[in-house]
Amino acid sequence: MANVNNKPFGLIASFKTAPDIYEAAKRVRDAGYKKWDVFTPFPVHGMDGAMGLKRSRVPRFTLIGGLTGFWTGVLITWYMNGYDYPLIVGGKPFWSFIFPFPVLYELTILFAAFGTFFGMFISNKLPEHHHPTFDHPAFNKASDDTFFILIQNEDPQYDAEKTRALLEEIGGEEVTLLEE
Amino acid sequence: MSSQTATLSSDVSAQRGSPGFSWLALLVGLVGLGIAGMGFYQGLQEGNARPIVSWLIGFSFWFSMGIGMLFITMIWYVFGASWPIIIRRQLEHALSAFPWLALVFLPLLLVGWFYHENPGILWKWLNPDYVLPGGETVGDDVLYIKKAAFLNKDFFTIRVAFYFSFWCAWAFMLRRCSFQMERDGNACWDGRAHNISAIGIPLCALITTFAAFDFFMSLSYHWFSTMYGVWFFATSMRAGLAGTVIICYLLSTRGSLKGIYNQAHRYDLGSLCFTFTVFWAYITFCQYFLIYNANIPEETFWFNIRELGADWLKNSWWWIGLFGLIFGYFFIPFFYLLIYTNKINPKRLLAICIWILSFHIIDLYFNIVPAQKVADNTVGFTVREFSVTPWDIASLIGVGGICTWAFMRSMRKAAPIPIRDPRILGSIHHHE
Repeated sequence: MANVNNKPFGLIASFKTAPDIYEAAKRVRDAGYKKWDVFTPFPVHGMDGAMGLKRSRVPRFTLIGGLTGFWTGVLITWYMNGYDYPLIVGGKPFWSFIFPFPVLYELTILFAAFGTFFGMFISNKLPEHHHPTFDHPAFNKASDDTFFILIQNEDPQYDAEKTRALLEEIGGEEVTLLEE
Repeated sequence: MSSQTATLSSDVSAQRGSPGFSWLALLVGLVGLGIAGMGFYQGLQEGNARPIVSWLIGFSFWFSMGIGMLFITMIWYVFGASWPIIIRRQLEHALSAFPWLALVFLPLLLVGWFYHENPGILWKWLNPDYVLPGGETVGDDVLYIKKAAFLNKDFFTIRVAFYFSFWCAWAFMLRRCSFQMERDGNACWDGRAHNISAIGIPLCALITTFAAFDFFMSLSYHWFSTMYGVWFFATSMRAGLAGTVIICYLLSTRGSLKGIYNQAHRYDLGSLCFTFTVFWAYITFCQYFLIYNANIPEETFWFNIRELGADWLKNSWWWIGLFGLIFGYFFIPFFYLLIYTNKINPKRLLAICIWILSFHIIDLYFNIVPAQKVADNTVGFTVREFSVTPWDIASLIGVGGICTWAFMRSMRKAAPIPIRDPRILGSIHHHE
């Protein structure tokens, strides 16, 4: 793990209970850190607020996907029924918004689902096959009974000494330097 | 602590609907209904159906809101939802209006029995001598004869009595469970309300469907649509949810829900408003789409009279359908409610709910008002055009006054929120 050629990735600290990490997260948030994360064995209610997270941007991808789907539907039905091979069916117009509406909204839903799915991947920067926390021997306990806070090196506020001091001050144990 | 409790209880008693305001609501209700009643009487004297239609519109608006609230209450019980418990109490107050709504409906039924000049002034099929476009009478109309086993005065009266008995009984039982729990603190009332709701939802679905057939679809008794009941359910849910948001806004800004009704409640109610906006559009469009695609004259005439006049030019209903229903009642609320902040901001959510209720009235107009009147032209009839009459406004305000009075009267009978519900804290601390 400790290879001198590797760049530092960040500092990770462990906590014993959910209230501890909840209070600690508020302190990290108030200290102004942006590039950091919390790892818990189960969802902790109110953690979003304690971390100062903003709302997800995924709905924007959903909306863009939905609108793309709708207009794709308009385009293909118009091209096929209104332009390339116009047919009179039941005395109805070659193309209108009414008869192909099931196609339009099905494509809206389909593309909105694509937008949501891939939007989630994009905004989480997935897929990510390896993460430096996996090198931390104690990290497996994040799915058992231990809570972690990781503050990344990339954070503009990051300072090896001060960040370590903050993590220790807020009750973090085993503050460890992770490397990329 | 004790001073806090004292403040809380004095607040609570002060905010439990002041009697003064509820009497004012009753007065407004009686005056409104009095004016609408004068129109009703004049309509009967002159044989003019429009003021009778006004009465039906006023009734339908508040009735649909009540039906929506009855369904919402039962759905919340069946799902064991804890977040809306503080809101549910407000709906229970609103459900107390059902017996009064039955009373408001009564004159329409009595017209069929005692207005001998033309018992079919509102529902044509109540009068076998009514002359249809084409010169035939209802009694000789084969489409009536085939439906006469269902659409006749006696069976209609029995059905209406049955419908209102059901709605009143279920409103009464749900209210009793909730209020009784407050008195004896016994959690078993929650289970009883759950069972009553589980039985009530399918029954209410059937009854409301048939009521929609009887009250609204049979206005054009030649027409039939199996989706009509679902349309009425959808529009009722929208009205019920919008009404709920408005009640909660008023109570949280100047009443007993101050500090209790929070952002997460608004977000969830806003999301439900959005859900039923989409559901309403889906149902209403499907009804149109199936009839449009099948293109059978027996069905299409209902939409034709809502688009075209005898001169084959667009009539007023075409514009109402396009701008009132498609844009006003669907697209604008749809895009508005997609935005998160519009659901959590109290004033913005209030604004769209007032908007939805306004266009709900337009939806009722679209379904109730257009009718064929015998005329000497190429098609043999003219269509009753869109108009807002003073009688419409009087009956909307009048029935509203009665419902508000019933609501405020009920507010004095129970605490503003079900304080002894075992899961009340889950609702108070509800968060996103």
